[in-house]
Amino acid sequence: MRNISFVFRKVWKSALVVAALSFLNVAVTQAQDVVEGKTLFNAKCKSCHALDHDLTGPALTPKVNELDESFLIPWIKNNVALIASGNKQAIEASKFSASEMKTFPELSDDQIKSIIAYAKVGEPKKTEVAGPVAKDEGASGLSIAGVIGSIILAIVVLVVLGRSVKVLERLILEKQGIDITEEETVPLSVGVRKLFKNKKFVFFFILCLVITLGSFGWMGMWDTGVHTGYQPVQPIKFSHELHAGINQIDCQYCHTGAFKSKNSTIPSLNVCMNCHKNVQARTEDGQISPEIQKIYNALGYDPDKQTYDKTKEKPIEWVRVHNLPDFAYFNHSQHVVVGEAAIRKEKGLKPTDPVCFACHGPVNTMEEIYQYSPLTMKWCINCHKDADVSGKKNDAFYANIIAAHEKIKKGEKITPAMLGGLECGKCHY
Amino acid sequence: MESNKKYWKGLEELKNTPDFVENNKNEFAEPLPIEDVLSEAGLSTVTPRRDFLKALGFGLGAVTLAACQKTPVHKSIPYLVRPEEVVPGIPNYYVSTFKGNSVLVKTVVGRPIKIEANPNAGQFNNGTDAQAQASVLDLYDVSKLKTPLLKKQETTWSELDAFVKGELNKAQASGKKIRIVSSSLNSPSAKAVIADFTAKYPTTKNVQYDAVSYTGIIKANENSFGKAVLPKYNFDKADLIVSFAADFLGTWISGEEFTAQYTANRNYKSLEKGKMSRHFQFETGMSLTGTNADTRVPIKLSEEGPALITLYNAITGGNLAGGALPNNATADKALKLVAKELLQNKGKAVVVAGSNDVSTQILVNAINVAIGSYGTTIDLDNPCKRYEGNDAEFAELINEMNRGEVAAVFFLNSNPAYDAVNPKAFTDALAKVPFKVSFADRVDETSDLCEVVAITPNYLEAWGDANSYEGYYSIVQPTINPVFNSRQAEQSLLIWSDAAVQDYYQYVRNNWEKSILPAAGKTWNELLQTGVVTTAPKTAGAYGFSLALDAVVASIMASSKALDNNDIQLHIYENIPMRDGKSANNAFLQELPDPVSKVTWDNFIAVAPKQAEKLGYKEFDLVSVKGANGYEVILPLLIQPGQAMGTASIALGYGRTKVGKAGDNVGKNAFPFVSFANGTLKYATTAKLSAAGGREELAQTQTHYSFEGRNIIRETTLKDYLKDPASGSGNHHKHKVYDLWTTDKYEKLGNDWVMAIDLNACTGCGSCIVACNVENNIPVVGKDEVRRRREMHWLRIDRYYSFNDEKTGEDVTEEKEIAHMSNLDNVSVVHQPMLCQHCDHAPCETVCPVLATVHSSDGLNHMAYNRCVGTRYCANNCPYKVRRFNWFNYWNDSRFDNYLNNEFTQLVLNPDVTTRSRGVMEKCSMCIQRIQAGKLTAKMEKRALKDGDIKMACQQACSAGAIIFGDKNDPNSEVSKALRSERIYYVLEEINVQPGVGYMTKVRNIDSETKKAHA
Repeated sequence: MRNISFVFRKVWKSALVVAALSFLNVAVTQAQDVVEGKTLFNAKCKSCHALDHDLTGPALTPKVNELDESFLIPWIKNNVALIASGNKQAIEASKFSASEMKTFPELSDDQIKSIIAYAKVGEPKKTEVAGPVAKDEGASGLSIAGVIGSIILAIVVLVVLGRSVKVLERLILEKQGIDITEEETVPLSVGVRKLFKNKKFVFFFILCLVITLGSFGWMGMWDTGVHTGYQPVQPIKFSHELHAGINQIDCQYCHTGAFKSKNSTIPSLNVCMNCHKNVQARTEDGQISPEIQKIYNALGYDPDKQTYDKTKEKPIEWVRVHNLPDFAYFNHSQHVVVGEAAIRKEKGLKPTDPVCFACHGPVNTMEEIYQYSPLTMKWCINCHKDADVSGKKNDAFYANIIAAHEKIKKGEKITPAMLGGLECGKCHY
Repeated sequence: MESNKKYWKGLEELKNTPDFVENNKNEFAEPLPIEDVLSEAGLSTVTPRRDFLKALGFGLGAVTLAACQKTPVHKSIPYLVRPEEVVPGIPNYYVSTFKGNSVLVKTVVGRPIKIEANPNAGQFNNGTDAQAQASVLDLYDVSKLKTPLLKKQETTWSELDAFVKGELNKAQASGKKIRIVSSSLNSPSAKAVIADFTAKYPTTKNVQYDAVSYTGIIKANENSFGKAVLPKYNFDKADLIVSFAADFLGTWISGEEFTAQYTANRNYKSLEKGKMSRHFQFETGMSLTGTNADTRVPIKLSEEGPALITLYNAITGGNLAGGALPNNATADKALKLVAKELLQNKGKAVVVAGSNDVSTQILVNAINVAIGSYGTTIDLDNPCKRYEGNDAEFAELINEMNRGEVAAVFFLNSNPAYDAVNPKAFTDALAKVPFKVSFADRVDETSDLCEVVAITPNYLEAWGDANSYEGYYSIVQPTINPVFNSRQAEQSLLIWSDAAVQDYYQYVRNNWEKSILPAAGKTWNELLQTGVVTTAPKTAGAYGFSLALDAVVASIMASSKALDNNDIQLHIYENIPMRDGKSANNAFLQELPDPVSKVTWDNFIAVAPKQAEKLGYKEFDLVSVKGANGYEVILPLLIQPGQAMGTASIALGYGRTKVGKAGDNVGKNAFPFVSFANGTLKYATTAKLSAAGGREELAQTQTHYSFEGRNIIRETTLKDYLKDPASGSGNHHKHKVYDLWTTDKYEKLGNDWVMAIDLNACTGCGSCIVACNVENNIPVVGKDEVRRRREMHWLRIDRYYSFNDEKTGEDVTEEKEIAHMSNLDNVSVVHQPMLCQHCDHAPCETVCPVLATVHSSDGLNHMAYNRCVGTRYCANNCPYKVRRFNWFNYWNDSRFDNYLNNEFTQLVLNPDVTTRSRGVMEKCSMCIQRIQAGKLTAKMEKRALKDGDIKMACQQACSAGAIIFGDKNDPNSEVSKALRSERIYYVLEEINVQPGVGYMTKVRNIDSETKKAHA
């Protein structure tokens, strides 16, 4: 059922994007240089400057309003030369920070003017887009409704059939000339009572009851301890969709352990700070995004002074989404490095998708992360039974496993199971 | 030729006591209540149908409700700023030093969890002993103090410093003495710190004393050669080793180092070259070294001196007085034989003595000079610096304190209120010292008497260094930040002496960069990676001996006569698990069975079987032992075959009163039996025994299982081995075997993990047991549970006694002869490590009703704990009795509050191994976590698995190299080669369970002459 919600969400989002683009188009025709300026700003300046507040460099909007283009253009192009030439204004400007500003000899005067224009105008105001957010429907709710619906349908069909049988019988009797006395209409309560005296009906009723309760129980038992779709509320509303999807950040940038260790590792906050020292997603009134502020709070970081206070450190307690029982051993590196090719083939991943998607699902579309795979032993085993590891033809490790290697060389399919991947002790110790 | 030699695990089995016979019939150690149930009362109990249904309904409901608990929410807390070198899930290794031996510390996300020997240490890489393996648990000891104490109140370091400095100034002003009492300090930086402290407070002196002292050897060397040092012994260069009560494979000076040297001449590689050293042991109590000797002769304590004089006379042809053993013809005969052999092996032999008596050691020096040991087997030019204690200085300290001359005393890694010769005299004298500081990590016996307890961190949290041999330096580096508010003693001393450098890290670094590293051409960073610096050893010189021995002999004879009265001669010794008692709160060590007696959690008084009979005591009778100095303890009696008649032995290290939950009041303190005479400590005295009434069963792991007299130990003599390498292995007479699984063969596609154990290398020291415990999260069960035979050790070492006929010197083969045997002194011992044999036709697998234990394609017997329902059928069907059942949740049950029932100590657990819960069977997994990790590393590096990539925990710890593990499918692996040895046999191979662990026959270097020497 989740897929339906995905589709729905995707459609909704593309509609939003189209709307935004058309809005932008209007703006584009109006201020060509501002848009160019924005692009250039993002490419060249953003890592050190923000428009409205100080980062490594000063806030740009006040500066471009205060300073003259005749100074700004040579300064931006080559501030080092300007300082060396003894320009007083330049020397004054260089005192802002101990770190030297980069030189941009590649920028033309017009391009710099575009940046200045963008810095003066500032961020084009966003239209408020508060759309309904697609809610996930409970997967089990729908199937339960289906069961109930089919039972009701069955009852209706039976009642209708019963009626038509009666009508037909009467017609036959009428044809045969047998006179039938019209049945009196009985009150409903009497009818129900009569219904329950009907052994066939009672049998049918009980059968339905047993089937319904039985299927509930059966499903319930199968799902005990299975947490597919588990999506706890996290202390920070971190969006994988934004980071892994829109911004295309590689999984390993944050989950550094996945390709080395048994743990994929939740990134430590210094990894977040690589970007979020600058990317503060400020709101219109200059407030740092409350979610990003949480990172700063945890680290005791003061974004204005850009200093860390170790005494205020407070680690973030994420809620673990993927929980394996303690007695099951799972190693990420074994799967994403050693078994990568086989897993890609088995799960039919696109070559562009990271191998992580095989078990974690389309993380790049998950606003908040949830458990995509059931993580049951059956699920593990099925893959170990089916995956094809014959691609290890030239791997020196497998060359030593002589008998298996013979089969691999002959092109026969070899699965992890054939190499002992189903034995208890391989995962439970 | 197959030997019919009879082995027995304990005296119960040998004598076939009614208890033993009865116990043997029973499948389970405790009677099952079946008869109660089936008895009339049980059967007549009416359970009406309605009651049954009620119970069923309630049970079902309760189970359902219990199962309805919400899935717990797990939190994941990442680092705020991850240290670059830490990847969760990948261990880091750091070099450090434990008791002068360089070690490698495995840490997992910042917490040390395992100790290994440092492979960079070259000739000093000799495995680890049980103490080193268990030491990681001491870091997580909750009995430690969390803050320093000032007058028993918690305090801050600044307050404490101000107080101490004030007191030191007072002491300085009074002109009285300041004393730093420490055990041997082999750290150059710590010595430099004390020198700085002494410069600031000139009346300071460092008094070094060791609870188990080696002053005798040091003084004797000073006397004989003008060198006050402990020599470096080279047992690997000795073809003939004669030891007089020196437990050099266990507790004497440097056990694991000597074990490595000793076994180098006795293991399978050496035997393949046809070479094996010969070892005679003359001793009172049965020591670990004694159990490994080719010929062991029991002698009384009073006979030790005369025996050495006899030997000296026989070698040099001298005629010193007292050279006779009138009451011990066996020893006398043996000594003559030894003298002859020593002369034949000049320059390739060594004589060592465990005695701490200067005169005795001078005589030993004279013998060693006569047989040309110096320069070959004994090296005085690269001396050992592990022990430098001076007994006389400590005795003088007590006098000084009594005279009121001492104004301040500091205790550094020493606990004299527990281990001093006369604790009462010491504490009385200490009371006269106005200012006392202890650097202990807890309120122990001594720090309880001190005004200031300046708590020090564990060695795993500290900086430091060690210099255990001339030219061999190693570094101590922290592997974790100090957990509690502790400060290193050295740093405290630096602060109190207002030193220029007060940070001890910087101090150590400066010291190394100034005086040690330049000579070795290494940098500090290189040192932190390799851990050791060695300089080229000096050439060991030969030494002459020109002193007259008359005075020495007179002194020896006087000591001997003093012991030889009508009382029992009492031998005080260090045992392997507890040593001097400093780690008494370590539950792993408390539960490590003593290698000889197999007793855990206690000390005892050991007497010979005949002695017990003579005195009218039975095993475990409580006996009151009253020493010559009036000290009296009540201990349970243990009957120890091999103990010399007229003697008894008591182990040191027990009877701590202020050490912590695990170690408090375990056993009795034997230190007060030690006496101070002729300038050194004497570990021999006399005692009167009397029945104290009552009985206390010792928690032994020894007689739990019986092999029903089957041929599981196979041994031969060197002579026979040289004629026929397969002699004694039983390989010439294979039993016909029947195979149930003729059609269903296992196919081992990849690896076939197997093990070979060299019984001739294994000394039985038990460090593998502790290594296995630490690696595999094996719970400690405590004394009561061990008594119930519920210890959890996956790996045990079985100790078998056998003995030779007195008259013929032939092996005793028939049971009826054993029954006639009156003298049990003459036993020889075999140690056999026993672990899951990973049988290819495992009997445990076929009886498991839930398939919780199954076979793998790489030759292992897997155990899936989460499948096990605890029927214990497998344990019942295992012919080796290596399966262990979890009767409790030992890590979460207040009844087992030995160590693991708190979150702090649980940090010692290995995260790669499940902690088993109650009701589950467990056993040796062949360190499957290490196999899987080793395979994965190879896979990640896209290379074939190399032999030696994967090492078992027991194998890695073993100093003797007795355990060889590897892949049988690789014909060039070390284990394949070892398993092709003709000495290989499989325990109980006749039942065709096809075990995966091969044992190599025990070879004894004895011949008919040495056999007859017994007679």
